[in-house]
Amino acid sequence: MSEFTVTADSPRPPTLPRPVARPREPATATQTTPKVVIKDVHFFYKKYEALKGISLALQDKRVTAFIGPSGCGKSTLLRILNRIYELYPGQRATGEVLVDGRNILEPGQDLNLLRAKIGMVFQKPTPFPMSIYDNIAFGIRLYEKLSPGELEARVEEALHRAALWDEVKDKLRQSGLSLSGGQQQRLCIARAIAVKPEILLLDEPASALDPISTQRVEELIAELKSDYCIALVTHNMQQAARSSDFTAFMYLGELVEFSDTETIFTHPKERRTEDYITGRFG
Amino acid sequence: MVSEHIIKSYDEELQRLDNAIAQMGGLAESQLGAAIEAVIKRDGDIATEVIEGDVQVDTLERDIESLVTRLLALRQPMARDLRQNIAALKIASDLERIGDYAANVAKRSIALNQTPPVKPVYAIPRMGRLCQAMIKDVLDAYVERDADKALAVWLRDEELDEMYTSLFRELLTYMIEDPRNITACTHLLFIAKNLERIGDHTTNVAETLYFLVHGTPLAQVRPKGDRSSLAVVRGASADQPEEDE
Repeated sequence: MSEFTVTADSPRPPTLPRPVARPREPATATQTTPKVVIKDVHFFYKKYEALKGISLALQDKRVTAFIGPSGCGKSTLLRILNRIYELYPGQRATGEVLVDGRNILEPGQDLNLLRAKIGMVFQKPTPFPMSIYDNIAFGIRLYEKLSPGELEARVEEALHRAALWDEVKDKLRQSGLSLSGGQQQRLCIARAIAVKPEILLLDEPASALDPISTQRVEELIAELKSDYCIALVTHNMQQAARSSDFTAFMYLGELVEFSDTETIFTHPKERRTEDYITGRFG
Repeated sequence: MVSEHIIKSYDEELQRLDNAIAQMGGLAESQLGAAIEAVIKRDGDIATEVIEGDVQVDTLERDIESLVTRLLALRQPMARDLRQNIAALKIASDLERIGDYAANVAKRSIALNQTPPVKPVYAIPRMGRLCQAMIKDVLDAYVERDADKALAVWLRDEELDEMYTSLFRELLTYMIEDPRNITACTHLLFIAKNLERIGDHTTNVAETLYFLVHGTPLAQVRPKGDRSSLAVVRGASADQPEEDE
């Protein structure tokens, strides 16, 4: 052998770090506070049990999306949150829905106050058959006594927040029904937020709208969430993925999976969730 | 097994994507096998075939890219389907590199044929066989969506690294002993390095597959056996201070 030696034994390589479980970062890093806490809620249409013990929390200043096939109970759940179901006979809910810690399912609840606190927008735009201005002012007049000047300011503010002001400012006296579908829907959102609610329930707010109007509504949701707790029911999964922070997947009256939206759409834990969002047979 | 999509043509497109990956992987593996054969048999014809064959691997990569682009645009895949598309893109790019390295080995073999044979060449088929086995296993794992099998491939790379380190040392010794070996040994060194890199890309594929199956990255540190970058030639001459062990 020559006088040379070849070695790879020294210097020693640095000690390799041991395998560690990477900490999972939630989609929303910042702290959230629950605004609505739903505890073991069951719902009955006469004998039929439409919700079979739902428990989850809606976070304040966040959007929570509800997805699931037709009849899974997601709209029913929304209807419980402002007790709108009580308008119909034979429907009842059990369990607890705590809004800021108070159970709104208790008999003593003032329904008018509750519905001022919790605004709702439906799939089909439902403007009142009155002027654009009065559509907004109507609700405010119900709850508050304002001077005409103050009222005008509130109407304008609501239309601004609903990103509708620029389109309607010159025709506030025209009928709300004269607007396009997308504008009507934003008018309904403006009407809902004019009474300064804390929670917004959106039941398929964009399903009857064209893609541009849909994006306007989604952009609006993104802006509104800095002030409200928003629940969004949608059949459009891309919309849920784009617009929400948390997503609940419901199936046959049960809450199958509830997680941050990123987890639901990239690696859901439940097989049924995965089958549903990827378009497979559930 | 995963159930079918409501839209049948979606399943067909995803299946086509899987088939393309399998085909591309099979091609990369056979390219590598032929390149090793060219080295051992000192056969320039086989080497030329491998070099010319690389364009097919590249074509398959582009096919996979356009398949994925189309799927993303038209199907908006979610969850596992989305991961399959992302994984296909990444795997195709790793396989393309493996194809390149196989072509490089073939090119070196032509140069090697101009020099007299040197003994360390025997280590090349051993490394090559291990590479091929790893590629084959990781492709099987892909078809079967078997993350455990992928993990086994991932761990085997250490063995390949160790082979490389030991061959590296051996080649250095040969070159030191007889400078006439330098040309052949240098080419062999690059061939060995190419094989070592193929191993690394194969572990990439294994990692991607793990992500595809589990939805989370493989969060472990892989054991590394390649310590050739730490190897030094120590002269015993007086002006060089003795380093302690």
